Amino acid sequence: MRRGPIVAALTVLGLVSLWEIVVRITNTPEYLVPAPSAIAEHLGSASGLLPAAAITLLEAVSGLLIGASVGLLLAIGITFWGHLEQAVMSIALLVKSTPVIAVAPILTIWMGFGYGPKVVVTALLTFFPVLINAIEGFRSVDRSIHDWARSLDASPSEIFMKIRWPSARPFLFAALKVAAPLAMIGAVVAEWMGASSGLGRHMWVAYANLDMPSLFAAVLVLTMLSAGVYRIVVEIEHRTIRWA
Amino acid sequence: MRRVLAVLAILVLAASACGDDRGGGELRPVTFMAGFTAQANLPFVGVYVAHDQGYFADRGLDVTIEHSTGGGENLQLLAAGTVDVTTQDAAVLLQRRDDPGIPLVSIGLIGQTGQQAFVALADSGMSDPSDWAGRSVGFKGTPPPDVFAILDAVGLTEDDVELINVGFDPRVLTEGQVDVYPVFKSNEPDLLERQGFEIVMWDAADYGIPTLGLTYVATEDTVASDPEMLEDFMAAVIEGISYASANPDSAIDIVMEYVGPEGDAAHQRFILDTELGDSVSEVTDASGIGWQTAEQWSSLADLLEQYGALAPGTVIEDVFTNEFLPGS
Repeated sequence: MRRGPIVAALTVLGLVSLWEIVVRITNTPEYLVPAPSAIAEHLGSASGLLPAAAITLLEAVSGLLIGASVGLLLAIGITFWGHLEQAVMSIALLVKSTPVIAVAPILTIWMGFGYGPKVVVTALLTFFPVLINAIEGFRSVDRSIHDWARSLDASPSEIFMKIRWPSARPFLFAALKVAAPLAMIGAVVAEWMGASSGLGRHMWVAYANLDMPSLFAAVLVLTMLSAGVYRIVVEIEHRTIRWA
Repeated sequence: MRRVLAVLAILVLAASACGDDRGGGELRPVTFMAGFTAQANLPFVGVYVAHDQGYFADRGLDVTIEHSTGGGENLQLLAAGTVDVTTQDAAVLLQRRDDPGIPLVSIGLIGQTGQQAFVALADSGMSDPSDWAGRSVGFKGTPPPDVFAILDAVGLTEDDVELINVGFDPRVLTEGQVDVYPVFKSNEPDLLERQGFEIVMWDAADYGIPTLGLTYVATEDTVASDPEMLEDFMAAVIEGISYASANPDSAIDIVMEYVGPEGDAAHQRFILDTELGDSVSEVTDASGIGWQTAEQWSSLADLLEQYGALAPGTVIEDVFTNEFLPGS
């Protein structure tokens, strides 16, 4: 039997118990720090959390798919046409360095109050790690293998499909493992800036009302969703790359 | 001998003066947290001016000024005892006293009418809230009772409009994403008009709806345990507000030290002028700036209860006190 999961579970249980005991002994008011039992109680009774989580998940996954696709396409473009690299990377760095909270209101002005701005914010946050890792992956091909393929008169597209793409897949999954939890945060931040539904909206209202059990419950749901999305990426990686 | 006695008398007087810690002795540390970032909201200005002009020091207080991001952490820090006095919107004070039960007390009501109103572009053709029918009406975060009360006042219901959470950027109004936008009276109207947009504004108070604005807040514990400090604090800030009312240009110079060089002094002046106008009422005409009555608070509580924003049972007498205000 593997001891790792047991040790991890016991550690988490110990920390949560300590948290509960400290809050109870110090008689800390719920609006400052809620006890885990209060959060659990809220989690059990808050019927609005599940629909909110579904909306945030939808926005996050949509944004991740768009962001990852854009990052991947740009990396492919740079691989085939190297002279694009400087221009693409300059723009990518500019986007990456721009604080999301500065962009989100402008996106709302352009796109309205629906899901659009949230998906775009998530895509903006997630495309960069995919772009960087994909470029590295496509370039990580052993030079001798590349030269051997060229000597056999393989076309650039054949080299890409048969050699570069397989070599880049571990890099892509590494990027997705970073981008997936980031997508959840992106969706929540975008909702926090103004939304009528979603976990970010739930958190905003809870925070404004100093309803800390509700806020922590939403954070817990977000954490579990992030872990779930990460786990799905790992599973796909294991199924598509034999040695992973 | 006379010379020796005179010197002794001077020394005794000097020693007694030093012994009065409300004068020039060791200053008492107090932490004030403004309920938002630095700007010319009148309760903030009262503190900035009192600090700058030495009104706190004159009363033996060494006030540290902090600023909240506006997310409500000022109330948490007040409850935790990290902050001694903060500011809060009167309606939020009632709500947070009720749930989650923070023992907040208003010790000086500076906004005698509410901070918020609703605006539309002048060329929208709307002149009265009855024109909101079939339009989108924005709110920030959660729909305030004011919006339902205004709809009621003109014979509309929530179903007659589309309520949208619009966030805090008024450009959604100018770019046509929403027809009616919620504003802080002392802020967005100035920003919109400076951008060249004419607006029409509706204030809930104009429809007989009870509203109140920003108030200085302490906890029940501090009210009970440290009344001298609160009395000195309030005397100093009321003096600061009086100074700002008489010398607005000078007050804005002081405000800009907190706002920073990136701030816009003309906009800060708009905030100050608007809030000075809202700081007076029949109550303050009779008793002075900051005074408040049970009738004002119970009218607001009734409104919040009517629209489901507050549970019934608020004990109004526990919500506020005038005992620390000059003239009490």
